[in-house]
Amino acid sequence: MGSRISDSSSGHAVSLRDPDVSKKATNQWWSVTWKVTLGILMVYVIYGAFNIAHGAIGFAEKGIAARIIFFHVPCAVYSSIAYLVATWYAVKYLWLLGDKNKSAAVLADSDFKSSAAMELGFLFCILATITGSIFAGVQWGSFWNWDPRETSIVIMLLLYASYLLLRTAFTTDPAKRARLSAVYAVIAVIPSIFLIWVVPRVLQTMHPTTTLSNPANTSLSYKLVLYPSFIAFTMLFIWLMQLRVSTLRLTEARRERRLRALEAQH
Amino acid sequence: MSGQSWLQQSIALFRKDVLAETRTRVAFGSMGVFSFASLLLISLAMVGLKGVLLQNSAGQAVPAWNNSGKMSLLWVLLCFAAFAGLSHSFVYEEETGTASTLKLHMMPQAVYAGKLMFNTAILLIVSLVITPLYMVMTGMDAGTIPMFLAVMLSGTGCLAAVATVVAALAARARSTGALFGAVGLPMLTVLLVLIMDAARQCYIRSEATVQYLRPITGIVCFGVLIVTLSAMLFHFIWED
Repeated sequence: MGSRISDSSSGHAVSLRDPDVSKKATNQWWSVTWKVTLGILMVYVIYGAFNIAHGAIGFAEKGIAARIIFFHVPCAVYSSIAYLVATWYAVKYLWLLGDKNKSAAVLADSDFKSSAAMELGFLFCILATITGSIFAGVQWGSFWNWDPRETSIVIMLLLYASYLLLRTAFTTDPAKRARLSAVYAVIAVIPSIFLIWVVPRVLQTMHPTTTLSNPANTSLSYKLVLYPSFIAFTMLFIWLMQLRVSTLRLTEARRERRLRALEAQH
Repeated sequence: MSGQSWLQQSIALFRKDVLAETRTRVAFGSMGVFSFASLLLISLAMVGLKGVLLQNSAGQAVPAWNNSGKMSLLWVLLCFAAFAGLSHSFVYEEETGTASTLKLHMMPQAVYAGKLMFNTAILLIVSLVITPLYMVMTGMDAGTIPMFLAVMLSGTGCLAAVATVVAALAARARSTGALFGAVGLPMLTVLLVLIMDAARQCYIRSEATVQYLRPITGIVCFGVLIVTLSAMLFHFIWED
């Protein structure tokens, strides 16, 4: 009879297998496809940056310096998007706190997502700072000029760091940690808004901001690498986000299991 | 106290804090001594720069230790002073166990308003004492007086607003002292950029070209946004 039995009343075949198995298989297929596509895209972007895109006008080292945009710009963009994602989940967390029908799992999930986005934002922010500094060194002759863009990214880095620091202060009480870090994430939006809109206007910048926002400035060879680079970084961000959220979930589950075991002992 | 409006409650809390402060003088004392010591350190460290001239990009000789630079250091001093003393307002409620009484009898928004009033008042007094002393010791000019006063007032208010909400957050953690500065100062760097921009306007030679509105609006907007969001979110910080 194998794993199938015949249901005589309805005539349908009933599976004795776990219903989640087919879902798991689909998930696994998706995960492998995602990683393979991401790998191919990233290899293409690295190859394309040096072999497809040619030197750009107005950049140092015969235009070679412009090649950093394939890595620097997506990192810088994702360091801000990560903050938006983190704030979104922080607001969702605070919103759900007032909801009486909420489930604890959904509540914890928003906190994990907010925290994971902050960690990724911190990572992308460091990468954008380093790549930007390399570019500044080649293009303007000094690795750090206190350009408004440099100033704002370094302050952004500090804001991320202080959020992560705040989280470390409440290791024993996850609910308090989630609530207070969500509040901090929402309040720190104000300095971030001022960083994006006000600070570059107050201080004068050398940063080439309009180079990419106007499509006429970029030739086909650049678009051929830059757009796949954005897709690759988006996929990388989503993948890392999923990985981090599931590790946070597992860590929390292990902590709770240990606590319960300790309580059972005493 | 539950029958009173939040304004009455917050004024009652403010009066309680003022009374406690006049008895112990912990916040005022620590901020005063801290800022006076920093003032001495800054003027000592910068003694070597007195009278030194530098050449700017236009080829003109400008003093290395100029008014804008002095103003920047005054604000760095005030920021650190705020973070030396203002954590006290929430920490001592937690330490003495009176936080639970406040939670029982007062609206969270009233607690926030009362603490904000007290912190703003104490920071204003400290900057009122320190700024003239600093001006005498470093020889800083006030420049355009109305602009100078506007910068000092709006900046002090904003500083107190940021310090109050961060103090409330940090007071809930165990290692409050270390956390308070590390969490608050990154938020203040943005405010400091705005204040520097406004301060530069004080020292523009011809008064007709001084821009009053734009830089001050920036600072005031920052403060109003911080106060609004903090008041909206304060019950998440305050209640368990």
